[in-house]
Amino acid sequence: MSSMISINNVNKWYGDFQVLTDCSTSVSKGEVVVVCGPSGSGKSTLIKCVNALEPFQKGDIIVDGISVGDPKTNLPKLRSRVGMVFQHFELFPHLTIVENLAIAQTKVLGRSKEEAEAKGIKLLERVGLKAHAHKHPGQLSGGQQQRVAIARALAMDPICMLFDEPTSALDPEMINEVLDVMTELAKEGMTMMCVTHEMGFARRVADRVIFMDRGHIVEDCSKDDFFGTPRSERAQQFLSKILQH
Amino acid sequence: MDFSQIIPALPDLMDGMWLTLKLMVMAVVGGVVLGTVLALLRLSSNPVLSGLAKAYVNIFRSVPLLLVIIWFYLAVPMLLNWITGEFVAVGAFTSCLVAFMMFEAAYYCEIVRAGIQSIAKGQVNAAYALGMTYGQAMRLVVLPQAFRKMMPLLLQQSIILFQDTSLVYAVGLMDFLSSARSRGDILGLPHEFLLFAGLIYFVVSFAASRGVKHLQKRLAV
Repeated sequence: MSSMISINNVNKWYGDFQVLTDCSTSVSKGEVVVVCGPSGSGKSTLIKCVNALEPFQKGDIIVDGISVGDPKTNLPKLRSRVGMVFQHFELFPHLTIVENLAIAQTKVLGRSKEEAEAKGIKLLERVGLKAHAHKHPGQLSGGQQQRVAIARALAMDPICMLFDEPTSALDPEMINEVLDVMTELAKEGMTMMCVTHEMGFARRVADRVIFMDRGHIVEDCSKDDFFGTPRSERAQQFLSKILQH
Repeated sequence: MDFSQIIPALPDLMDGMWLTLKLMVMAVVGGVVLGTVLALLRLSSNPVLSGLAKAYVNIFRSVPLLLVIIWFYLAVPMLLNWITGEFVAVGAFTSCLVAFMMFEAAYYCEIVRAGIQSIAKGQVNAAYALGMTYGQAMRLVVLPQAFRKMMPLLLQQSIILFQDTSLVYAVGLMDFLSSARSRGDILGLPHEFLLFAGLIYFVVSFAASRGVKHLQKRLAV
């Protein structure tokens, strides 16, 4: 399988503090990779490096053959092809739901307003929120907002999707509606890199699991290996803590 | 006290009020636009640009408005003369407008800067993640939200500007206060006309201020 995202020896510092140390991994086309680890381990930082929302000082990341770290790279163009979903949804509160879905399609991709809105409505239907198209984000629940955020990313026809703790800010009863959308997406063959603590989702959907600790990738193996017998003691501890509940 | 003479003088006073309002509206629009540009420069990661904007704000906030008005009245024609090599008549209104725009921009800059900073970083990241450029992220995502939040403060500052336009008497412009004063002097009724002018300033400013409070409540919901 060809590599969609390839992360090579990435190092990142905040001043003197090193947040990422020699991180290397890759995500193949159609693969679903879950990134987990304790808080402060650098997993969110790593996924934000993939579409250059966070700069890194050493190493390189290649997305679909394009170097993210190269200063000559047209970052807006690259980012428009990589979908991203955030922990706090980040819908635009001054726009309606359908405008949220259409704005980047028209302004970035140059689609007509009609085409963009039609596509937006179609995607809203897919995540079960067509009836809310003309509401503002503040009128929706967290779970609904996050489903809209996923639809907004999909409206750009992304070549892969990044999820940065998509369910961490949600009330427990809303987590499943978001995970269901993500599961369906994975089944359709979308390339996905997900930072999440949802081990049930990882077990059901992931092809591979990456475990990070203190800025290092400690474990990078198939899902079965990870949930069977993680090789590192740190991952074993993490799993035993998380799976008890 | 004889207030009956104010009524026949009303058309003249209206001319003065018209000039006051015209000056205010144009200065607010120009000041907000220039202030927004300054705010974006101040927040820029380029130390030269942010330093220049900071210096601009500090200079204009440290000198009296009256001085700026007089200075522009005398300096703008001279500067244009020096640049173009020919004498250009600028006129008191234009020089006052430029003075107000540039002076108020320093205050609007600080309001807009606070407004931009109040928008969470995540909103900018979301805009970038959708492929927007810096300009698009600001124009389509950050500034519309920031202006909504700042609107009461911007309007409050504009009410202050409405009162400050009376300073144009210094360069002989016939605004509302100047026309009331000159009418009063001509008719020998200076107290009546000045009291009337004060009442009008109060009514307009107070009503506008109440309007802003009302708007603030509505925007907060």
